[in-house]
Amino acid sequence: MKGEEILQAGLASCKHIRAACILRRELEGSTVDILEAIKTRRAIRKYKTEVVPDDMIETILDAGRFAPTGSNLQPWKFIVVRNPTTIDLIRKLSPGYFGAAPQAIVICSDKVTAYEKGGTLGRDYITIADCSMATENMLLAAHALGLGACPMKSFATAAIKEVLQIPDGIEPELILIMGYPDEKPNPPPKYPLEQIVFLDKYGRVWPRSKGGQSS
Amino acid sequence: MAFLATSARGCLDEPPSYGPFRLIDGLSRLTDLPKYATCLKDDEFLHKIKRDIDGKKFTVMTNIDEFRNMLDNIVRQITKELMARADT
Repeated sequence: MKGEEILQAGLASCKHIRAACILRRELEGSTVDILEAIKTRRAIRKYKTEVVPDDMIETILDAGRFAPTGSNLQPWKFIVVRNPTTIDLIRKLSPGYFGAAPQAIVICSDKVTAYEKGGTLGRDYITIADCSMATENMLLAAHALGLGACPMKSFATAAIKEVLQIPDGIEPELILIMGYPDEKPNPPPKYPLEQIVFLDKYGRVWPRSKGGQSS
Repeated sequence: MAFLATSARGCLDEPPSYGPFRLIDGLSRLTDLPKYATCLKDDEFLHKIKRDIDGKKFTVMTNIDEFRNMLDNIVRQITKELMARADT
C-alpha cells in the first residue's frame, strides 16, 4: 500500500483527532500541531463533491462536544445534514452558503435547558459563546483531517428551523459547511498584536518580545 | 427567490456592507439563469461578468476598497455593453 493510501485509510479509521494528527505527522513528515492548525485553517468556499465518511464526521463532532462550556451547560445540539435535497434547500435559504459542499453540520443551542441551568446569562450569552467554541474545535478538527469547512451565520433562521423541524427553544446558531476542499485561499489580513493587545490597562501598548510572533 | 427573500431578511441584521454584497452576488447568480430557463440565450458577456464578480466578491470582508473597485469595474463593463448593444 502506498503512503497516501495508508494515510487515507488511517485517517478514515481514526476515532480521535489526536490519533489522526499523529498518523498524519508520521506519514507525511509534517507537523500538524495545534498552533499550525490554527494558523493554516481557512474558510473554504469551494468543495469537491465527495461525501465525508461517517467516522470522520464523528471525530469532528467529538471535538465539538469537548469544547469549553460555561457551568458545564453543554447547550449544543448538532444536526448533521447530508440528504442532497435538504442540503440544496439549506443552500437556497442561506445567502452565506457558498460552494457545493455535500454535507453540513447545524450547530444549535438549547435555550430552554440553558435558561433552567444558567439563567438569562446562560440562555443569552453562554449558549452563543459555547456554540462558537464548539464550532472552532470542529473547524480545527476538520482541518487536521484534511477537510475544509466554513462557519456560516448568514441563513434565515425561520427557514432553517422549518426545513430541519427544529422545535421551539432550540435555536440554530451557526452552520458549518464542510467537505473536501477544492481551493487553497490565501490568509486574510490580520491586525498586528500591537493594535489589539494592551498591557495592564487599556491603551498601554504591549511591548513585543523578540521571539514573539510576526505580524 | 429564496436567495432574495432570505437576503432581505438578513440585511436587517448583517453588516451594512453585506447589502451591496448580496446585490452583486445576486447578479452573479442571475447570470446562471440560462442554465435553467432554456428560453434564455446563453451570453458570453454574462459569463465574464460572473467571473469578475466571483473572483473579487469576498473582498467585501477583507478590503472594502478592492470590493468598491470591483463594483465600479462591473458597472463600467455593463455600461459599455449597454451602449454597444444600443448601437447595434
